[in-house]
Amino acid sequence: MTHLLVDPFTVPYMQRALWVAVLLGVLAGLVGVHVALRRLAFMADTFTHTVFPGMAVAFAVGSSIALGALLAGLASALVFTVLDRSRRVTSDAALAVVLTSFFAVGVIVVSRTERYTADLTGLLFGRILTVDRAQVLEVAAVLAVVALVLAATHKELVLRAFDPEAARAAGYRIGAIDLLVNVLIVLVVVAAARAVGTLLTVALLITPAAAAKVVARSVGGMYVVAAAVGAGGGWLGLAVAYRASIDHDLRLAPGATIVLATTVLFAAVLGGRGLVRLAAQASRRRAAAAGVAAG
Amino acid sequence: MSAWIAQTFGSVEALAQVTLAALVGGVVGVHVVLRRLPFLVMGLTHATFPGLVIAGLLGVNLLAGTLAFGVVVVAVIVALGAADQVESSSAIGVVLAAGFALGVVLLSASDGFARDLSAYLVGSVATVSPTDVWITAAAALVVLGGLALLHKELVLGAFDAGSLAALGYPVLVLDLVLFVGIEVTVVTALPAMGTILCVSLLVAPAAAARLWSDDLVATMAIAAALGVTAGAAGLAISVAAHTAAGATVALVAAALFVGSAVLRSAKLT
Repeated sequence: MTHLLVDPFTVPYMQRALWVAVLLGVLAGLVGVHVALRRLAFMADTFTHTVFPGMAVAFAVGSSIALGALLAGLASALVFTVLDRSRRVTSDAALAVVLTSFFAVGVIVVSRTERYTADLTGLLFGRILTVDRAQVLEVAAVLAVVALVLAATHKELVLRAFDPEAARAAGYRIGAIDLLVNVLIVLVVVAAARAVGTLLTVALLITPAAAAKVVARSVGGMYVVAAAVGAGGGWLGLAVAYRASIDHDLRLAPGATIVLATTVLFAAVLGGRGLVRLAAQASRRRAAAAGVAAG
Repeated sequence: MSAWIAQTFGSVEALAQVTLAALVGGVVGVHVVLRRLPFLVMGLTHATFPGLVIAGLLGVNLLAGTLAFGVVVVAVIVALGAADQVESSSAIGVVLAAGFALGVVLLSASDGFARDLSAYLVGSVATVSPTDVWITAAAALVVLGGLALLHKELVLGAFDAGSLAALGYPVLVLDLVLFVGIEVTVVTALPAMGTILCVSLLVAPAAAARLWSDDLVATMAIAAALGVTAGAAGLAISVAAHTAAGATVALVAAALFVGSAVLRSAKLT
């Protein structure tokens, strides 16, 4: 067990990768709770794609990739809001059109540059093994800010998710709360983009929170489980990718391995929950049978 | 004629493949938009990605191998959707991300990672073979024929699944047939459009056509026409401007949708 889970992280670059993976797992797990509560999985998926043209343009002109991603993410949120106002266009059709058109712009921008395929895979799948100290601190800073915002707006966010009518009646501005959640999602995508890439970030936003929703009984509990599954998946995935490469000479893309490890944890939570239910049913039946025998 | 086509659209095979995929995508897309399934389609395209990689690694025909894998994917999504512990959009999200990651991991273990990956992700219409076109044509016939035969039942299922069940129709089987039809359409569009942009041919033309007509058969005809227009125009532009073909087709499709929305907004709101 130590061979798999501890030994890989004695090398400095693996330590930095582990820090980023765990911090991102916690960050995306926390924000993902609201994605799961509000059923925003498709919207989260859309934002992971629409930041891409911003990154591609920033990359091409040599400006800050995070800034480009942020601007493109906000622009796509704006376009979606406008399209969504039409009664004849359902919001999921609008999301699909926004997603594909923004992503297509990114692909065209990248396809016009010289080192097309290498750049494309770098932007889409990240390079978690080459993150530096500054990037680790950046992710930690984003996590601190997001955690503070979530704590400060807890009541509003939960009320909006479970009872929008009551939230409106209580005088909260629904539009502002929704905008806040969208901005948080975009922030996570931007923070994760360079390490695990835009395309795999959606897994960090959806899978840990989906696992949390299966077992947790309160929003606070969901935060804890989602953060734990996100961090655990990051740790396990990195360790597996390292061991496969060192022991078996098998190159596994680390970002994608993290996603698969997170999916395994999700399946384990789902399976564990099923087993607990079966055990509870069996013990109830036994108790009932014992009661009948005694009576 | 064929020289002109090759000069304008890249190759005869490319034009035939994109036209067929766009035609079926437009018609099937009306069901997708009607039943609010775009995210499911997104999930199908991503979860089908490992099938494409496996078919490539095994050296079998990409389309045939992916079609076989796609049917398995549909079964998994339907099974997860039937389990009541996971809410459906989260279930789609989990399957989408896991399938996509599986494809990336499989591909990363083989050589030529970056080049292959970008071809799968954004499509490479230049590699379409005559065999692919024939498989696509056969698949198109089957899907369009199935949709025509079951038209009344599928439309009733979209608007009122309860009365469809009350009339004694097997609702689950009909849903499954539609999903398989969507998956076949996705697979035929994959080589040209790639994993990520494939969804555009199944949503944008249909969503635009819905703005022009209330009659479903007319909507399907308009969607097919818009899809084929986007496919042909996108290919021609990509050849002239040296841009990625799938991405250009997706942009033209989105432009047709936004244009329709602007043109119709005065009358509808």
